[in-house]
Amino acid sequence: MTTSTSAPVTAPAKTAVAARTRGLRKEYGSTVAVDRVDLEVPEGAVLGMLGPNGSGKTTTIRMLLGLVRPTQGEIELLGRPLPDGAEQSLPHVGALVEGPGFHPFLSGRENLVRCAAFEPLLPRKEIKQAVEDAIERVGLAQAAHRRYRGYSLGMKQRLGLAAALLVPRKLVVLDEPTNGLDPAGTREIRRIIADLHAAGSTVVVSSHLLSEVEATCTHVAVLHRGTVVAQGELTELLQAGGSALQVITPDVEKALSALRQAKISARPLGDGLRVELAGTSAPQVIETLVKGEARVFEATRWKTGLEELFARLTEAEEAERGMSAVDTLDGGRR
Amino acid sequence: MITRQLGSEVRWMLRRPRTLIGLFGLVLVPIVISFGIWTAGEDGGGGPGLSAIIQGNGLVVPIFTLFLSLNLLLPLVASIWAADGLAGEAQHGTLRGLLVAPVSRVRLLFVKLFGLAAMSLFAVTLMAVVGIIAGTAFLGSDGMATLSGTTLSTGEGLVRIALFVVLVTFQMVSVGAVALAVSATTEHPLVVQAATMVTIIVFQVLGQFSSLDWLHPFLITTGFPGLVDVMRDPIPWDQIGDSTLLAGCYLLIGTGLAAIRLVTKDS
Repeated sequence: MTTSTSAPVTAPAKTAVAARTRGLRKEYGSTVAVDRVDLEVPEGAVLGMLGPNGSGKTTTIRMLLGLVRPTQGEIELLGRPLPDGAEQSLPHVGALVEGPGFHPFLSGRENLVRCAAFEPLLPRKEIKQAVEDAIERVGLAQAAHRRYRGYSLGMKQRLGLAAALLVPRKLVVLDEPTNGLDPAGTREIRRIIADLHAAGSTVVVSSHLLSEVEATCTHVAVLHRGTVVAQGELTELLQAGGSALQVITPDVEKALSALRQAKISARPLGDGLRVELAGTSAPQVIETLVKGEARVFEATRWKTGLEELFARLTEAEEAERGMSAVDTLDGGRR
Repeated sequence: MITRQLGSEVRWMLRRPRTLIGLFGLVLVPIVISFGIWTAGEDGGGGPGLSAIIQGNGLVVPIFTLFLSLNLLLPLVASIWAADGLAGEAQHGTLRGLLVAPVSRVRLLFVKLFGLAAMSLFAVTLMAVVGIIAGTAFLGSDGMATLSGTTLSTGEGLVRIALFVVLVTFQMVSVGAVALAVSATTEHPLVVQAATMVTIIVFQVLGQFSSLDWLHPFLITTGFPGLVDVMRDPIPWDQIGDSTLLAGCYLLIGTGLAAIRLVTKDS
């Protein structure tokens, strides 16, 4: 059953992928946390994993990192299967999963040194420098000597990020990285993600903050009830989500009748119309309007916000429409 | 790589406040014992076994101390280390970090077992050394009187102490290995400590019932008293061998169970 759904999704992917899952399923006792997850993380992408709480984001990430064994399905991480290839692939992966985890009685710096001691790619001589660099990078220099016990939530989060960045990584996985951060901290995380992206690393960020994803990500995967309901490039997803033209005009009645004659669907909205661009194009619409003697003040492409897309994909009542939307989105990708 | 990981593990254990407090507590035992026997004077001796020969015999203090501690104190300390090693790391979320680094799960268990063994040896040696110093200071030392009535030279006495240190450490590590198996199943260090201590105490209680003597050869606690044979001259090896073999079985079973659990564990 998984092969039939996964085959068309993975077929068009000719570009290299940093991580890929096929038919992933995880059961905890009788509850199914994640089912039929076919996730694809293109190399060099910043992939935002979106989903309501409990949609399976963290479980998927934990399986991607080999922390949790899938009940069913396959995982490929940096070109190697998990868990067998973990020793080769995981050294190139930095991760911050389910909040930062450190020892309260050690200082931030000592905690990082302990993490560094277990990094296979870090030669012993370079540990000290790598730790200082990571501390500097996340802006924790002032607090590095203090015990982790006394850290604020934001500082803990930064330290977790520092541990993920101890070594130059091919893939960085950040689970809710901006949890507990103030706006300045959030901006810094965005900057770090942008830096990683610029340096060619692949980044996977899970978040329930849509604006954050919209601001930082090139790709999006939307999870809902333990399965991926949409994934692809952010811009394509947003375009495919709603191709429409918003026209500002005082002559709504004239405009509507002109469009109706031209068999273009439209409806009144605010100061004008919303015109569906299915089977037509923006210049055609404008031409029709002008010929119909409707004065056009302004015509703008209707941009679907991520929020709207997300709401459509995840709202429970519209589960069915959500699924059909996925099909059209996938079609749009190809 | 592995030496660096082992070094990090031991350094991490030594940095824990509770390790330092524990070691301090362990060190107090031989001092208190020496002091107690010294203040009791001549009439303090005369009990059975070791306490009979300890008066005026400082080198017996480390043996006596370790022998007493093995029943409760040393298993407690081993269980604390085992509990912090896996359950504690899971509780703090640091286990995930290690696994993602990655440290293979089998290697992680090896690192933890090594840390447990190294710290146990350190703790037991520390107690023995403090025991030698305190015993000699309070009770004096003129060779080592044995349970067989002979007296060994100081040098030979120290060899016996070293042997006893190794034997006791091995017992302690075996208890710790079983505790590690429990530790791999939970995120709550206290559960590990409680389970280990309850087991040790129940074993000792079961050891008291002669109607259960068929069970006794399987209880690790049954092996503890036999170790004191290092204080006989010459050493009868049967009981020491049996005790060590029994502890070895516990070590293997504990490590095996811990490995099985750890390899399949979701974290």
